[in-house]
Amino acid sequence: MQFAIAVFSAPEQASNRRALRFAEAVLAEGHAISRLFFYQAGVHSASSQQVTAQDELDLPRAWHEFVTQHQLDAVVCIAAALRRGQLNQAEAERYNRDGYSVQTPWELSGLGQLHDAAQSADRLICFGGP
Amino acid sequence: MKTLHLLSHSPFTDQRLTSCLHVIGANDGLLLTGDAVLALQPGSLQRKALELMPAGVQLFALEEDLIARHLQDCLPERVNSVDYPRFVALSLQADKVNSWL
Repeated sequence: MQFAIAVFSAPEQASNRRALRFAEAVLAEGHAISRLFFYQAGVHSASSQQVTAQDELDLPRAWHEFVTQHQLDAVVCIAAALRRGQLNQAEAERYNRDGYSVQTPWELSGLGQLHDAAQSADRLICFGGP
Repeated sequence: MKTLHLLSHSPFTDQRLTSCLHVIGANDGLLLTGDAVLALQPGSLQRKALELMPAGVQLFALEEDLIARHLQDCLPERVNSVDYPRFVALSLQADKVNSWL
């Protein structure tokens, strides 16, 4: 079965970790993830600049490894990302910003990608809140 | 199961559980995650409300969150503790999953 998974919460929220654990279980159970979509504060999951305390799970890194290892389609909402300072190189150049924090395998794109994922997948599962 | 409702807010600081129990369908399921498992606190009104739900409503709680709050040994009989593989299976058993974000 095809899953679309949307993450609305920042990495410091437990729901962000639950989303990752759920996504891992989806693949472990033999299903597929057609798209991961990061929205609202969830866009911080794609940041390469976030520093996590040594005794805590580094979720941006864990997401990065998970997406890379399984070659997943991982979309970050561009409007939510820009307003939170999570830019890729192209957006940093477009808006004359000094640095950028979103790199491959993440893709910045529009909310339409969530709609598309919801339509094509068998299930859309959203993770947000605490 | 028609709809699986997914809750993560504590029922002691938030109205989502109350709202959910008002609208939940007779053949829906409810999965408590995160602080939402605190609804199973022995003696609480929230636990009573869950125990009084129609028999067709299936109740689940995420195992790791129960253990984190030491609630795993005092579950009502009708509440099933589930791990992540079972969470995935539940989401497929239901026609759709509604997250109370």
